[in-house]
Amino acid sequence: MALLELDGVTRRYGALVALDQVAMAVEEGEVRAVIGPNGAGKTTLFNVITGTVKPTAGSIRFAGQPIAGLPSHQICRLGLSRTFQITSLFPEMSARENARLSAQARHGRRWQPFGGAHIFEEASARADAALKQLGLSGIADTPAGLLSHGDQRLLEVAMALAQQPRVLLLDEPTQGLSVEETQQAVETLAGFLKTSGMTVLLVEHDMEVVFRLAHRITVLHRGAVIADGAPDAVQADKAVQEAYLGGFE
Amino acid sequence: MSAGLRALLVAVVVVLAAAPFGLPPFAMTLLTEALILGLFAMSLDLMFGYTRLVSFGHAAAYGLGAYACGFMLLHTDMPLLFVVFGAALLTGIVAIGVGWICTLATGVSFSMLTLAFAQLLYAISFKWTSVTGGSDGLAGIPRTAGPFGFDALTSKTGFYYLVLACLVGAFLVCFALVRSPFGAVLRGIRENEAKTIALGYNTRLYKIAVVAVAYALGGLAGALYAPFAGFANTELLFWLLSGQVLIMVIVGGSGTLVGPILGAAFFMLMEHQLSSWTEAWALYFGLIFIAFVLFAPQGIWGVATAWLQRSRNPTRAS
Repeated sequence: MALLELDGVTRRYGALVALDQVAMAVEEGEVRAVIGPNGAGKTTLFNVITGTVKPTAGSIRFAGQPIAGLPSHQICRLGLSRTFQITSLFPEMSARENARLSAQARHGRRWQPFGGAHIFEEASARADAALKQLGLSGIADTPAGLLSHGDQRLLEVAMALAQQPRVLLLDEPTQGLSVEETQQAVETLAGFLKTSGMTVLLVEHDMEVVFRLAHRITVLHRGAVIADGAPDAVQADKAVQEAYLGGFE
Repeated sequence: MSAGLRALLVAVVVVLAAAPFGLPPFAMTLLTEALILGLFAMSLDLMFGYTRLVSFGHAAAYGLGAYACGFMLLHTDMPLLFVVFGAALLTGIVAIGVGWICTLATGVSFSMLTLAFAQLLYAISFKWTSVTGGSDGLAGIPRTAGPFGFDALTSKTGFYYLVLACLVGAFLVCFALVRSPFGAVLRGIRENEAKTIALGYNTRLYKIAVVAVAYALGGLAGALYAPFAGFANTELLFWLLSGQVLIMVIVGGSGTLVGPILGAAFFMLMEHQLSSWTEAWALYFGLIFIAFVLFAPQGIWGVATAWLQRSRNPTRAS
């Protein structure tokens, strides 16, 4: 059974069909990329999976459990952690505090209104481990708002990792980075994915990034899945080529 | 708490505890009121400074606490000590409902809902004459003795110590709260609520909880005011007071707990000094407020701590 399964997932905004009967299955340990032209529904797909947007129809199962329609904080707690396309951090907190608050969310007594030194300790340990995995140990004490854009993008990933998720959802992790920064970030991510065996759902614009990281690719076009398969097969697919070239007509 | 700060706070508490032996009765009255207002402003800081929940209706907590306490002191034989804490508890319980409704909205809409709730109570205080005394308010509120013949709180000095104990106790509670895991989540909500939700926190519950605690402590301040002044009237629920307490928090330094207490004392002092010179004292205080917002948005305590740090390690000054 796949870890994350979507079936017939549809999202309408009035007459606009942002997602049209999307079906896909992500296996444990797989790095899956979702690609598609602008407006194909990639980010909507993320929002529907993570519960920030409710699907109009269809079912979403995580480890066999239906999650469509649950509030996003509950979905997150089941083990799906996401990053955002537009960097979203706590700018006045240090990188470590950012990751610590993220790890704390998975603690059974995250709300404790007094003391809590041991909760902070456990969360800090996870935060430091996550920062180390992405090579951010050196900037752990820097306020997140002062980090370079590249480090901010990686910090978001580290925050998601600090939650020890079962599925990591990355929304354009290299968005807005320069060519060099992108290369660096991708190498860091590739190294981490190889050693950790993490299940990842990745939305990305940059094809080089996709082919470097993904095991399998799903192509969205106007909200519908038009191809799904290994990177080589998808690259050779006629419908995919047309969808991308169609954008220039 | 750093050792230096702790020593400073202990010293301040000792000085305040010794105040009745050195100050004339008139000054003691002013000081008591300043401490009550300080408690009130500090309670708002939990919402405004730590969670960025801007309340335009914090007078609701103060007035509700004052009326509840006044009503019970006038119409029951319960000892003052129980009534004060009972009124605070009642305010906190009501605030769970208020918080539940107000947190349906965010940003300015949240602020407007808090204002609407305070104005609702203001209207009720006018109309529900049998309980609130209408536009006359409740007068002749006594400081009752007990339990077991314990009558230290009936005197002005005894009551001052109760106020001081409440302020110190509330400060310690707030201090523990903002440094706890719960407080870390509040800080997350302040800086980026969408991200806090995405991390898996049900931020609305945290917001309702902080509203309840802030109102309970604001209610405690109001409950102390009623037997202190001997009356409770509609002004305690009016939006003017909600605005004034926001000013105290901002001028004192939001997000610091200590700052709002200083802000309240500063406000009292200015009101007292300026109004002895001119009728238009509020105009001049308004100018002072504008100056703070423009030139020292971190407030009195923010400026003071920054200055202390700079004088301690001059090499790290920026």
